Amino acid sequence: MTLVWIHEDAISLDHPAVAAAGEAAQPIFIWDTAEHDRRGYTLKRRAFIYECAHDLNIPIYVGDSYELLRALSGGERIYAAASPDPYISGILADLGGDHDLEIIASPCLADVPANTDTGRFFRFWNRARKSALTRSEDVLDKDCLAS
Amino acid sequence: MVDLLDKLSPALTSAETLPAPLPRLKQRDRQAIVDRVVQLSPGLPSADRLISDVQGGRAQADKKLAVLDPSKYGSTRNHLNGAVTRLSPYIRHGVITTTAVRDRALEIAAPKAAEKFIQQLTWREYWQRLYREFPDYIWNDVEPYKTGFTASDYADDLPRDIIGGTTGVACIDHFIAELNETGYLHNHARLYLAGYVCHWRRVKWQAGARWFLAHLLDGDPASNNLSWQWAASTFSHKPYYFNLENVAKFSGDDVDTRESSNATLAGSYEALHERLFPNLEPPNSEKTL
Repeated sequence: MTLVWIHEDAISLDHPAVAAAGEAAQPIFIWDTAEHDRRGYTLKRRAFIYECAHDLNIPIYVGDSYELLRALSGGERIYAAASPDPYISGILADLGGDHDLEIIASPCLADVPANTDTGRFFRFWNRARKSALTRSEDVLDKDCLAS
Repeated sequence: MVDLLDKLSPALTSAETLPAPLPRLKQRDRQAIVDRVVQLSPGLPSADRLISDVQGGRAQADKKLAVLDPSKYGSTRNHLNGAVTRLSPYIRHGVITTTAVRDRALEIAAPKAAEKFIQQLTWREYWQRLYREFPDYIWNDVEPYKTGFTASDYADDLPRDIIGGTTGVACIDHFIAELNETGYLHNHARLYLAGYVCHWRRVKWQAGARWFLAHLLDGDPASNNLSWQWAASTFSHKPYYFNLENVAKFSGDDVDTRESSNATLAGSYEALHERLFPNLEPPNSEKTL
């Protein structure tokens, strides 16, 4: 079954990864207790995340994300939102070794060239300002650098 | 409880046996969700049973988006009771995107009126960019401390009185209680706590960052940790510190800012600088938030 991994950095069915996967794909959320323990999340953080996932009315599995994604996909393609988080990106990198995987970027707020000096925020803001103050529908080039 | 967790997470023993999802809770019953999360979290300390009033889900985010007032935000955002959106937990977990929030702001306000608000959204974009490009920044000092001390002069762990909110500094304890009970703090209160932890108590920013990530519903490794580094001075030109007068100026009546209850924070910026950073030259002028 083609899957969309709804992970904790993109708990939404509006993410472009869901649209890219198509209507036949199954979005799933995986509750990885060991990862929450490792991160030291308190109960209120866990409850908030669960509520967000529960709100989507999609299957919620419990266990190791990598193992579950491998088992449930049955070798079919897996879609996921890109994330800089090492846990999420590490699982996606591992899956990419032997799976058909599509990692889809999130929409970005501003179009900032790759060579922008990111040493301090206001240098970044000076390059971001014009596109950040433009509504998405008015942006002609929707490609950006978010990954 | 462990048995229940085992039952809810079937072992992947063979290709023929696919794991089953959790039984769907019949309705959006908050207590049922909390009970389930407790069942799924046998490693949580039994004392950790506080739940935030902030509820997850898109409908909750949309309610907050509906009352967004970017102009008022720009003029009041530094005040602890200012017109902040409290959308950050939803943005953190991708329930709603910064582009959707930006687009809404520009629907109801001219770009100039919405600029301060959108600039704050862009901070998140900035932190995420750094996270992608420099993942080592998240837990390591980007630059040396600019406090007259080296990293080895700072304690590795948070003292118990900070974790428990019993420092004896009234406004600090107020903010800690708010963090523990709600999972949310106004950005200015976060800075006060970060400044207090790093500079009054001389604790490494990493300890404070871990503490916030455990509690804050919007806790994001990039935004959180790099903001801590900004306050600590390992990702800024100088340390962030404040005085009691500043807390009083930006706090509401519910925060005790009497000098008798907050003595260690009282004083001029010059006097505090000399006390907190005795190895540094006196500042020429201090820019405060």
